[in-house]
Amino acid sequence: MVRRVIERWSRDQVLALAPDASSQKAAAGVSAPAKWSRAGVARDALWGECKGSGAKPYRACVDLREPAYRCSCPSRKFPCKHALGLLLLWSADGVPAAEEPVDWVEEWLDQRRERAAKQTAKVAEKIAAIAADEAAGGSGGSGDDRRARQREERVDAGLADLERWLGDQIAHGIAGARQTAPTDWADLSKRLVDAQVPGVASVMTELSRVFRHEDWPARLLSEYALVHLLAVAHRRSPELPRDLRETVRSRVGFTTPKENVLAQPPVRDHWQVIGSRDEDRDRLLSRRVWLLGRATGRAALVLSFAPVGQPLDSSLVLGTTIDASLCFYPGSAPLRALVAERHSAAASSATPPHGVRAGKVPQLIADVLSRDPWTESWPIVLNDVVPAQADSAWHLADHDQKEENAVPLLPSTGTPWQLAAVSGGHPVTVATEWTPDGLRPLTTWDEQGRVVIL
Amino acid sequence: MGSDRGAGATAVSVLEQAAVEVVARRAGQTPVRAEQLAAAPVESLPLVSSRAADRLARMLAGEHSRLIGEWLELAVEHGVRVPARLIPQLLDLGARDRSVRAHLGVLTGARGRWLAELNPSWAYLHQESSGEGLLDHGVWEFGSSGDRRAFLQRLRAASPGDARELLAVGWDKESPAERAVFLGTFADGLSLDDEPFLEAALDDRRREVRRAAADLLTRLPGSRLGRRMAERAAGLLVRAGNTLTVELPERCDSAMERDGIRSELPAGRSGGRKSWWLQQLIAHTPLDFWPGHFGLSVGEITRLTIPDWGREVVMGWTRAAILQHDPGWARALFDLEPLTDLLAVLPPAEQSHRAAELVRAKSVNGQLIMMLGGIARPWSGPLAAAVLERVVEVAASQPWNAGELAKLAAERLNPALHDQLGHLPDDLHVLPTTLRFRFDLTKEFS
Repeated sequence: MVRRVIERWSRDQVLALAPDASSQKAAAGVSAPAKWSRAGVARDALWGECKGSGAKPYRACVDLREPAYRCSCPSRKFPCKHALGLLLLWSADGVPAAEEPVDWVEEWLDQRRERAAKQTAKVAEKIAAIAADEAAGGSGGSGDDRRARQREERVDAGLADLERWLGDQIAHGIAGARQTAPTDWADLSKRLVDAQVPGVASVMTELSRVFRHEDWPARLLSEYALVHLLAVAHRRSPELPRDLRETVRSRVGFTTPKENVLAQPPVRDHWQVIGSRDEDRDRLLSRRVWLLGRATGRAALVLSFAPVGQPLDSSLVLGTTIDASLCFYPGSAPLRALVAERHSAAASSATPPHGVRAGKVPQLIADVLSRDPWTESWPIVLNDVVPAQADSAWHLADHDQKEENAVPLLPSTGTPWQLAAVSGGHPVTVATEWTPDGLRPLTTWDEQGRVVIL
Repeated sequence: MGSDRGAGATAVSVLEQAAVEVVARRAGQTPVRAEQLAAAPVESLPLVSSRAADRLARMLAGEHSRLIGEWLELAVEHGVRVPARLIPQLLDLGARDRSVRAHLGVLTGARGRWLAELNPSWAYLHQESSGEGLLDHGVWEFGSSGDRRAFLQRLRAASPGDARELLAVGWDKESPAERAVFLGTFADGLSLDDEPFLEAALDDRRREVRRAAADLLTRLPGSRLGRRMAERAAGLLVRAGNTLTVELPERCDSAMERDGIRSELPAGRSGGRKSWWLQQLIAHTPLDFWPGHFGLSVGEITRLTIPDWGREVVMGWTRAAILQHDPGWARALFDLEPLTDLLAVLPPAEQSHRAAELVRAKSVNGQLIMMLGGIARPWSGPLAAAVLERVVEVAASQPWNAGELAKLAAERLNPALHDQLGHLPDDLHVLPTTLRFRFDLTKEFS
């Protein structure tokens, strides 16, 4: 029998799965070989028993294919420190290979398979229902329908209110915004939440960030203009093409049910995980994981949210590649996606992803913005770039072209020391997140092809 | 009403134009011209194994971070360099902790130096030797101060005379700080051939240089400085039977100051200046002068009764034993007071043996732990056995001291002992855990 061996993940890859920094620390604390007994790895499953404070050891196991985790400890964190510690031990080659998973692991794997089958059947049912519904003319149950109409009316009213308010702001001038605006924004944001326009409400709550910049009046006008554009677009959405209408609806704050996303045509590819970033906003954690399709060249974003202390999606490991079908949320510049189906286990990628030259960035972004003018984040992988400086601001420059060839990095990220060290003035591949203020470096690959988180 | 509607329409038009403008700006960014970082030079050392590098990354992230020094030391011994991705963290560590800088000079290789050019807080790296340019005179002419010192050290090891002559050529043009540093290389292969040069250095403008020269001459058997010191000390210490009578020097003249005696009290030292002069005189007097002077063996001398200024005399001898690296005197003085610095003068086997005796005999307290702190790794043999025994013994009665001793032992014991510890109480888990970590750490280099 040929045993397929899953390539071990690096320590950084494992730690990137942790829900927060304290979990990373705790995981390192239980990653010593002495803490573990009866640990083993076989057929993509990893397990072990960890000495805890009680009499019985905690049993932790990981299904490396996804990965998925389970542990008998009472922790509410997910993955818990034991699962992570076990992964760290494995990443340091501290877990011996076994022939077969032990019984309790096998049992869990079976349960997972059963559940997955049930889940697939349920989703298929819903997708069929949506298809049937659309075929029948698009109107579903009556109660849901009334609620939906009610919401539409509220949103219309809320955005009309917003349009008026913005007009007033501009008519009165924004020079005094620093004094008066923050209270107005808070009130407005509350009204928008009541009007069930959460997307726009959250834009308003974050507006005060413009005051960090010297050119805040220009920034504030830009923000107002884009929100105004969205409100107008919503008001006139019947005139818009279907994709753009979807984009407007999602920016306004209408959520698309998972089933509707999964009903989209799947895109199958070898998706390489090129970067990830966690954010904590008002005690709500968000994790963005960006993927790049090897054959299609398409970028995708898998987004997950969780209140502090609750699990974030940790099934995509930085630097690995999965053969999977993705379904994209509908829109005019689709990026956010769901992993609909995995066709094989995640494999470590030995080579950096194939991206674009630095000189191509403006064109790429122009194309995205022409489809979705509200875009403020887009993943871009740059090949053969070198850190460079212009007016003491850091850039990424194309290594081969010496003329105008550099794109600026986001100033707030400071000097990219880690990137400079890995590059050493030699060309490297860098995965970045485009933002209107510059590129945020996410990931690079060193001479050994190892993923380095920036 | 009319003007209101007009203002409203204008406002909308402003918002619409602004929207067009902001999206056009974002979409219309063009690449700019920027100065690319120059390519870092090629590395000469091989990269450390990825397993070892992973362990270093773990330690830099906080796991067993006190063992980073040991890792760095081993890596230097094995002639490897660290992966570029870890260099920024290491250089930050070096900015806080001087003790690792010399290792970083070698381990971060060409990339480290290249990076240090970009960040002023890493500039210290240029003071360190990169371990390159074995006997390349170009290094001496153009290298960083760290590389020049290393070059001089290597030349000194190969041919002390050539090193001295090379240094003499440009001596006056070196900065005072560098003169003192370069003089330090004379410790290796010190001989009477160096005496004229060192005697001349006693007249240097810089105090650090004068003191370095005086210390070297003190360690040089048969030096004129040694004879001058012995003459000064002879009249002050006189034996009558089993008693040593001590007289303080009356003044500290310019000749004494030239020979390295500091006339002013160092900051923090209380007491009179004369006793301070006495201690320094004794510290700089060749130790082999005393047996002839008193007509006694070393062991007998240290057991003499000294009614006045005994503390100063013993301190002087102690500093002399350390400075002159004299095991006979160190042994005798260690019996009086177990100072770690004296232990360091003894051969390794004897160090271990003597420290073990102390560990068995004395109570476990801060003083003992401090003394043991001065003994370098790896502890094995009698010392290891004694420490392990003691730690278990006092674990229940003095948990805090036992914990401190266990922590120290975990970092110093030979890691090969990790599976021979026997059964230990739970609160001492630091011992097996740390030793196992160090055992794995060491293994990853072989």
